[in-house]
Amino acid sequence: MSIRFTVNGQPQEVADTRGTDRLIDYLHDDLNLTGTKFGCGIGVCRACTVVMAKAPNPAGTQIVSCSTPLSLLAGAEITTIEGVTPKEGLLPIQQAFLSHFAFQCGYCAPGFVMAAQLFLEGLAARPVPVDQLDAAIARAIGDHICRCSGYVRYAQALKEVALSVLAQGGDAT
Amino acid sequence: MSASRTKPGLAGAITADGRLSRRSFIASASGLIAVTVLGLPRAASAHSTQPMTFPPGALGKPGTATQRIDGLAKVRGDKVFARDYAARDMPGWPAAQWHALYLYALTTDHAFLGLDLSGLTKAAQPRRIVYGDDMSKSLRSPKLVRRRDLAIDEKLQQAGQTGKQRQGFDRPTGQEFDLIVQPGATPNYLGQAVALLLFDSAAACRAAQREMRFRDSDFQAYAADVSRSENMGEIFPPQTTYVKYDLNGQQFSYASADPENYLAEVPGWQGRIAAEIAAHPDYITQPIACDMQATDPMFLEPEAGLVWYDAETAALNIVLGTQSPDGDVRDLAGMFGSADSPVKVEAINLTPCSPGGGFGGRDSSPFTLMLALAAPFAEGNPVRLALDRFEQFRTGLKRHGTIVKGALTAAPDMSLKLVEMNFAFDGGGRKNLSPYCAALAALCAGGAYQLPMANIFAEARHSQNISGGSQRGFGGPQAYFAIETALDDLAAGQGWDPVALRRANLATETSTTVAGGPIAQELRLAEMLDLAAAHPLWRDRAAIKAGFAARGISYGTGLALSLQAYGTSGDGMVAAVRMAPDGSFSVQSDAVDMGNGSATTLAVAIGEYLGTNASSIEMADYDLFGQTGLTTDDPEKQRWANPRWTAKSTGSSSACLTGLHQVHTVKETARAMFEGSILPAARRLWQLPDLVSSDVAWVGGLLVDIRGFMPPLSHRQLAQDIYASLGTDTPLPTGALGHAYFQSDWAEADFDTAGGRLRLRLDGLACYGAEGAAPKPIPRQNTIGPDALTTRYSRYVWAPCLNVIGLTVDRANGRVELQNVLSVLNAGRIHVPELVSGQSQGGIAMALGYALMEDMPEGMEGPANGLWNLNRYHLPRMADLPLATSYAPDLRAQELVVLKETPGDGRAGRGIAEAVMCSVAPAISNALFDAVGRRYASLPITPQKILQGLAS
Repeated sequence: MSIRFTVNGQPQEVADTRGTDRLIDYLHDDLNLTGTKFGCGIGVCRACTVVMAKAPNPAGTQIVSCSTPLSLLAGAEITTIEGVTPKEGLLPIQQAFLSHFAFQCGYCAPGFVMAAQLFLEGLAARPVPVDQLDAAIARAIGDHICRCSGYVRYAQALKEVALSVLAQGGDAT
Repeated sequence: MSASRTKPGLAGAITADGRLSRRSFIASASGLIAVTVLGLPRAASAHSTQPMTFPPGALGKPGTATQRIDGLAKVRGDKVFARDYAARDMPGWPAAQWHALYLYALTTDHAFLGLDLSGLTKAAQPRRIVYGDDMSKSLRSPKLVRRRDLAIDEKLQQAGQTGKQRQGFDRPTGQEFDLIVQPGATPNYLGQAVALLLFDSAAACRAAQREMRFRDSDFQAYAADVSRSENMGEIFPPQTTYVKYDLNGQQFSYASADPENYLAEVPGWQGRIAAEIAAHPDYITQPIACDMQATDPMFLEPEAGLVWYDAETAALNIVLGTQSPDGDVRDLAGMFGSADSPVKVEAINLTPCSPGGGFGGRDSSPFTLMLALAAPFAEGNPVRLALDRFEQFRTGLKRHGTIVKGALTAAPDMSLKLVEMNFAFDGGGRKNLSPYCAALAALCAGGAYQLPMANIFAEARHSQNISGGSQRGFGGPQAYFAIETALDDLAAGQGWDPVALRRANLATETSTTVAGGPIAQELRLAEMLDLAAAHPLWRDRAAIKAGFAARGISYGTGLALSLQAYGTSGDGMVAAVRMAPDGSFSVQSDAVDMGNGSATTLAVAIGEYLGTNASSIEMADYDLFGQTGLTTDDPEKQRWANPRWTAKSTGSSSACLTGLHQVHTVKETARAMFEGSILPAARRLWQLPDLVSSDVAWVGGLLVDIRGFMPPLSHRQLAQDIYASLGTDTPLPTGALGHAYFQSDWAEADFDTAGGRLRLRLDGLACYGAEGAAPKPIPRQNTIGPDALTTRYSRYVWAPCLNVIGLTVDRANGRVELQNVLSVLNAGRIHVPELVSGQSQGGIAMALGYALMEDMPEGMEGPANGLWNLNRYHLPRMADLPLATSYAPDLRAQELVVLKETPGDGRAGRGIAEAVMCSVAPAISNALFDAVGRRYASLPITPQKILQGLAS
C-alpha cells in the first residue's frame, strides 16, 4: 500500500510504512525543498507552514508541516513556498514584504508568505469590510512567530496588499 | 572536484563551481592551517540565486536601499541558512551523509556511567557511540581563543594574583570543561553532552530522537552516590570593579588610576566614599534589589551545520551560520591543530551561511565545536548536526540570570551622589563571554547620569545551569532595569517628578562614566527628555489613566532612559570595495548579517563616494584581514610606529557594530577607491591632470565635471579605463581593501596611491589589480593611533534611548497589555531608515518578552530537562504588540522619534541594535508601579507575580 499526494503539482507516492514520517522531513530529505523552515517542531511557531488542499477544503488550508504525518496526505495537494513563488518575479505579497522590509533574518518569511497568500486568495473570493481587515489579518498571520521584526512591518505589508485586493475586487496573484 | 581541493589564490579565487573563495593561515601547534572562506554554493533548483545581490531594478539611488539585499532569496525560500544544506548540496562532497545526535547531562550531582541503548528499536540504533574518553584531550577540551574586550583586565588581574604577567589569554584549564563528559566523571553543567551518537541515515537519527525524547533517564546511567562536580560556584575571571570618586578636587577611577595599582587602591577609596556618605546625613539612599531569570535568544533557526573531514586533503570542511567566524575558526584550529589531534588538519574550509537570527546567541556558540567534534568519527563521511528546538533550548547559550543589589544615593536637591551595585551573573556551564557581559553591566550601572561616586562590582560564576553568553544588550538590560526602577522609587519616595530627577542628573559630553572614562560624545539626553515630556503619551498620562479608570481598567505610564554603549573596548574591521569591468561594485566585509540589515547598509554605504550602491555583497569574510598586510604581532612594542601593526584584526559580529564601525570602514575604503582609482581615471579620460575631488560629483549615476567643461563619465567607461590600465606602467586599482581600528578614536594614516597621497581614517590599505591577484598592501605613513590606555575607558560611543510605556493591567488575571510605546532615539546619521525602525520594533518585542513573558526556571525544572519548547516558553506575538506607528488616542501604537542628525554627529551613525531594548523593561516596571502601586523587580513579571503583588 502507498500514500499518494502531490507537492507543487508533482505526484508523490510513498510506502505507507512511512506514514509517521513528518511532511517537513519528506520535503527536505526526499524532495530537497528546504524553503519550508523548521522552527519548533511542535506546530507552534508556524515557520513550517504549507498549504494543503484536500477534501473537504479544496481551496486549501494552512497546515504545519512539522506536525503533519504523511499518513494524513492521501489525496492531498501540498503547496510549498517553492510552489507558490512564480517562475519569474514575485507574488504581490512577497514584493510587499520586501518593499516594507518586513522580515529581518528571514527564517520565518516563507511561513508568513504561505499564510498571507492563502489569506489574500480567500479575501479575493470573500471580501471583508475594511474596518474588519486588521482583525482578519491578525487571524491569518497572528499566530506566526517572528523573533526579529516585532511584526509591525509584516502587518503593514499585508494590509497594503489586502487593501489593493479589495480595491481591485480582487486578484491576489 | 573537492571543495577542499580547489586552489584559491591569496587574493581570492573562483572555485570550480563558481564560488568565491579566500584563504589565510592560522598558526597551530602542529603547523600552519590554511583557512578558506567559501561562498554559498549555487543551488541546482530553479530558485538558485546569489543570496546577497540586489535584483535588477532594485539597486536604488546611491545611499538608499529599496529592499534588503538578502531579501529576495529569503522571501522565496532559497537555500541561504545552514539548516537548508545537506552534503549533496555541497560541491565536491560525498553525497551520503551521517547524522549526529548528542545526549545531554541530566544531573551535576552524580557521575555519568554510560548509556544503555538496548531500549531503542533496531531502526533507531546508532552506527557509532562516542564517549568523552574516546577522544583526545585537545578535542574533548579544546583551548579556546577569546580575545574579547576587557581581556586586558584579565591579564592584569592574573598578574596581580600570580605576581607575573601571563602570556596570552589562555584560561585556567579547570574552566574549560570537557565538551563531552567522560564516563565516570560528574557532569559539570546541564546542557553538557554525555555522548555523541552517529547515524548513517536521517531516518535512524530521527527514530532515535523520537524514541528517546522525554525519556532520557531510560537511556543514561548515573552512579547512585552523590558526587558534586568540580569547580561549581567558581568565578569566571575577570571580575569587574569600578570605584569612582570625583569630589572636592580629588579623583580616582578605573580609567585614571595606574592599572597595576588600581585594585590595591580600591579599598581606600571605598572608605572615602563611605565617609562622604556618612558626613551627609541628609542624603537619601534608595536600596536596589532586583533579579532577572535567564532567557533564551530563541532565534528561529535552531543551530545546524555540516562538517566533513576529507582525509585525502587533510581538510576540515564546515558549513554553519555563526556570528563569530573568526573566533570559531581559531577554536577549530586549536582543536585540530594540537599534537594529539586524531586527524591531521592542514586546511579549514568554512562556508558561512546566513544565521536565522542571532541576538548574540550565535556569538562564540559551542555548537561550532560540537559539530566539528563529530567529523573524525564519521569514517570519512560528511556529518549533519541539526538541533531540534528541545535540544536548542537544552544546550543553546542564554541571556544570564542576574541578581542585582545596591543603592542609589541622592542629595535633597535631587543631585545623585553615588551608585552602588553588585551584579551576580549566573554564568552557567561554560565561561563563554559571561564575565564580559557582567563587565558591561557594571559600566551601564550608572545609567545615563553623571555620578561623582560609584562603587560597582560585577562577576559571573560557574553554575550547573545552561551556559550564558552574549545576548542583545550584553549586560545592559540588567543594569538599566536596576537603575531606572531605582530612580522611580527614589522619586516616588521623595515626591519628586521622575522626569525632573532624571533631568537634574543627565550625563553630557563633559561627563565621565562610572569607569571614569570620558563620554566625549554628543548625547542630547535633555532634548530627549523634553520630547518625551511634551508628548501626549506622557504629558496627558493622568487624563489617559482616568479615562481607563472610568472603564474599570488599571492603566499606568512609565519612563526609562538608557545609554547603551556599542562596540567593544577596541574594534578592528575590514572591508573590500571592488569594481567589475562593467562598472558595477561589490563589497566584502568581515561582518555577519544576523538579520539586522548589515549587508544592506554596507551595500548602500558606498553610494556617497562611488555614485552607486554595491550590486552584491559578501559577508563573514573575516579572513580578508590576512590580505591587508597587517599583523597584530608587535614584538618590538612599537605599536603604531610599526607600519604593519594594528591593535585588532577583526572580532565577533554584533548588530550594533554596523551603524558606526562597519559603515565607516566601508565608506573610507570606498573613498580610497574613489580618490585612488576613479579620480585618476577621470583625470586621464578628461585629460585634466589637476582634477580634484571637489571638481566632480556623481549625478544620475554619472561622474560629472561640476564646472561643465567635460562630458559625464559612466561607471562602465571608468571601469574600462581602469581595467585597460592594468597592463600599463601606470595601473589603476580595481578595488581597495581597507582595515580600520576604533578605540575612542580612529587610527589614521597617509597612503600613497595612484591618485596621490591620501589621509585616511584607516590603518591598513591594499589595492586590487587583475582578477585573482593578491591585493597589494600600501605602506602606511604618519600613523596616529589610539593610545593603549584608552582601553581603560571600556567604551567610547553611546546610543541613548528613552522609552515611555503605557500599559493596562487586568487585576482579575494579572495580564498586562502594552497599549502604547514612545521611543526617542539618538541614532546619529540614519543610513537606512527602515532598518533603524525595524531594529526598534524588534527590540521592543524582545524586551516585552524579557519583561513579561519569557519564563524559564533554572536547573532541571528548566529547559535542561529536555521538555522545553514554545508550548511553554512564550514569545510575544502580533496581538501582544501595538502595531500602529503614530500615537493617537484610542489606538495602540509604538511611535519612534529619531533625533535629527546634527553636526555633532560628524556624519556618523550609531549602533542602535541594542539601544531601544535596554530601557523597555524598566519602563514597563515603572508603568506597573504607576498602574497598581507595586514595584515588580523580578523578571519576568508574569501574571502570577502580578497577582501575588496585588494580593500583598
